[in-house]
Amino acid sequence: MTASVDPRPSDSRVGSRSAVAVGSPVGAEPLVVARDLVKRYGDVVALGGVSFGIYDGITGLLGENGAGKSTAIKIFLGLLHPTSGSAIVMGEDAAENVAVRARVGYMPEHDCLPTSVTAAEFLTHMAEVSGLPPARARTRAADTLRHVGLFEERYRAIGGYSTGMKQRVKLAQALVHDPRMVFLDEPTAGLDPAGREEMLDLVRKTHREFGISILCSSHLMSDVERTCDRILVLQGGALVRAGEVSDLTSETESVFLEVDAHHDRLIAELERRGVPAAVAGGVIHIESADAAVYDHIRDALVASGAPLRRMAPRRRALTELFARDGDDPGPGANR
Amino acid sequence: MMGTTRGPGRIDDGREPMTEPTAVAPDVAVPAQGTVFDIGYQRYDGPREGRRRARIAVFKDGVRTALGVGRGARAKILPWSFIGVMVAIGFILALIAGAVLRFGGPEAAAQIPSHSDFYGIASIFFLVFAAIVAPELLCPDRRNGVINLYLVRPLSGTDYIGARWLAFLAVSLFAAWLPQLVLLVGRLMGSPDPVGYLRENWLDVPRILAAGAAIAAYTTTLAMLVAAFSSRRAYAAVFLVGLFVITTPFTAGLAQEIEGAAGQWISMFNLSNIPVHMNDLIFGEVAEITGAAPASQLPSWVLVGWYFLWILVPGGVLWARYRRLTP
Repeated sequence: MTASVDPRPSDSRVGSRSAVAVGSPVGAEPLVVARDLVKRYGDVVALGGVSFGIYDGITGLLGENGAGKSTAIKIFLGLLHPTSGSAIVMGEDAAENVAVRARVGYMPEHDCLPTSVTAAEFLTHMAEVSGLPPARARTRAADTLRHVGLFEERYRAIGGYSTGMKQRVKLAQALVHDPRMVFLDEPTAGLDPAGREEMLDLVRKTHREFGISILCSSHLMSDVERTCDRILVLQGGALVRAGEVSDLTSETESVFLEVDAHHDRLIAELERRGVPAAVAGGVIHIESADAAVYDHIRDALVASGAPLRRMAPRRRALTELFARDGDDPGPGANR
Repeated sequence: MMGTTRGPGRIDDGREPMTEPTAVAPDVAVPAQGTVFDIGYQRYDGPREGRRRARIAVFKDGVRTALGVGRGARAKILPWSFIGVMVAIGFILALIAGAVLRFGGPEAAAQIPSHSDFYGIASIFFLVFAAIVAPELLCPDRRNGVINLYLVRPLSGTDYIGARWLAFLAVSLFAAWLPQLVLLVGRLMGSPDPVGYLRENWLDVPRILAAGAAIAAYTTTLAMLVAAFSSRRAYAAVFLVGLFVITTPFTAGLAQEIEGAAGQWISMFNLSNIPVHMNDLIFGEVAEITGAAPASQLPSWVLVGWYFLWILVPGGVLWARYRRLTP
């Protein structure tokens, strides 16, 4: 489970600006801990006292532009000092001890690549800057470019690469020194749908095959839902939700029914059994993840005599989850 | 796997695989060619040399960038042209000196171009060299955003700018000392008694090193400072060349109009002359370009103090600029 310095049971909805109340994996040590993290730029509050922990796995940091995602990542990397609170990465404050940065990788959102050098040379250099000896750096550069699918193109100048290839080089430079954890800031920014899919595959592969933990910021809810195990939602500098993606979506599991006739009788029978139902577009929706609801549905179908055409459980998308909460469905909800 | 591999059991990156390939099913016959093995992702468990290696890497990259090593032909044209011009000046001076020493009389020997004369003649090329090449080490990193990647590695802003400054200093020292070496060799070869010449003039060697270091440190610091405030190389280069070239006639004209101590101090602001004054002090000879400047009449300690002020203040500003730089 993603988040908590001070794990308290279970409600993953976080109403206050200052605390998270979700559990953490039993016995697991967080890789990153934010404790009452505040960052102000003059009168503007970028982070308003957030606390959370990030554990092994792929964690999505979701929020619209200006929510504080990049600020949080930069504080973790030691590039910004928090106004108050602390940000600890693998037991160290990266602003105080730059050595810890040898164990993390960072893929920025914006352009960060030289144009006149080859990918192989650039990655070798970045590996050396991360502390690897030159011979090992060359080996790692070739290996990493192979893993991101740029092995054949490694001796071409980066300036001639497509946007998708440049994104891969950006990911490769974050992985070249084999970090324990990588921070990916909007890894799919600027990619077409196919490139986006490939990048998300690479992100998944980075954790599942390479064993590298990931904090992936995005304003695209669908990206986070498809890629991440856990999610932190920032809004206006406050943490508004945190938890396992599967928990958040199963929390809103629903059942839908299609019957050929007697809609009203069926709904009445369901309500008589304490099962609230709603009709939309000729389909009856029942919101409950409780297994007992299926018994009530069976009984109501028999009592109403409604001929059943189709019945299936349905897990809501995160987009719907936030919309249901009355929040802005959020960042990139429709994308 | 994503990359293409060729040949049995060998990844095509010209080296042995990190582990023995294991992906071939035992009951599958290995074809003669075209077999692909995926050795999978290999964790790195080798040495990590931390901040020291990071500083060395940035320094090495700075030297390579300044000289265009590993870049296309266009990147090499400017730095090597300037180094070539300066070496050519040293070579011509060596030829003249050699001819005078061999064929001229003892009176002519007093007129031969000296090591001190070299920086007086070549200083303007040296300043333009710094103005054009030094921004290459800083501006593209900020313009392309590569600085973002440096500062998230085990490297502070101070480490980065220190390594870059040292890299260009090293290139500048090479450009300053190489022509002097050519001149020294020319003079030695021109002398009828090379050993005797060296015995008599051995002090020229530390003077060459010191004067070269003085001009290199000065031009490196000023050029890097200007480059630190622009993300476009061309702007930084034009500003620097303008600064060096324009201050010369401006201060000379003004110093001539306003005589006395004020004129001397105005003359001190001739940025091209500041390292040449140091050269004059080191060699104990006044170069032609500084001889006419009223500042040369000021006490030595003023000239030395002024030189170090122009190193330390811009150096401090440069350090402050990068110390807290964040992407």
